[in-house]
Amino acid sequence: MAAAALRAQLNALLANMFTTGMVDEQFQQLQSLQEDGGSASGFVAEVATLFIDDADRIIADIAALLDQPVVDFDKVDAHVHQLKGSSSSVGAQKVKLACMHFRQFYEAKSKEGCLMALALVRSEFCDVRNKFQTMMQLEQ
Amino acid sequence: MASSLKALLVEDTAVDRMVLSFMLRKFHCEVILAKNGKEDVDMFLEGNKFDIVVCDKDMPIMTGPEAIKKIRAMGATDVKIVGVSADDNAMEAFMSAGADDFVPKPMRLEVLGPMIQEVINMKNN
Repeated sequence: MAAAALRAQLNALLANMFTTGMVDEQFQQLQSLQEDGGSASGFVAEVATLFIDDADRIIADIAALLDQPVVDFDKVDAHVHQLKGSSSSVGAQKVKLACMHFRQFYEAKSKEGCLMALALVRSEFCDVRNKFQTMMQLEQ
Repeated sequence: MASSLKALLVEDTAVDRMVLSFMLRKFHCEVILAKNGKEDVDMFLEGNKFDIVVCDKDMPIMTGPEAIKKIRAMGATDVKIVGVSADDNAMEAFMSAGADDFVPKPMRLEVLGPMIQEVINMKNN
């Protein structure tokens, strides 16, 4: 009974992540990769964990770059591009979109714009990180 | 689909390495990993042979297109090279470097599958 309740909670969480646009069909593809492969249980959790650790580091690196008196916008570009890639590969749609929104500000070399864009990226990342962590707890 | 293809995956981002290598193994490829373009080139310099190379664009030390140019210049003209990137403008860089195909990230199974099958067919003919 408890297992059924947890399963229902997990399904509701996943449904919410899709309907709010937090994750997209790429995340669905990762789930189906896990379901199809017999020895692949835990694949989604492993990818989500890797994404969380990676994104945490990248966001911290971007913040450090923007904290410099002279901002290296090329490096900001490289980091945002990397985060866009990994968020797209894991299906974290809102993070990906926030990264795409970021571009106009480092192309314009606007520190203020970049700081606002980073705040959005961080906010979207925190949301999806919390959901991924809850998902992994329910799966255990 | 069963294959005994040897795939070289060139990708600096850990998340993408994990997802792409899982997808390649789904098609029964043996997957060798390289973390940047220089490691990619070194694999070929060491005499390794691959049936397919899946290569990211922007990587430290050496980019994907730079590595592809060097690999083709070394005479590795038979190996299928697929460029992948989250950069929508990456196609030209890859194709002019000598890649056979470009796929925007994220890679999808329904895109990778036919590519793998094409390589199997060519290998069998």
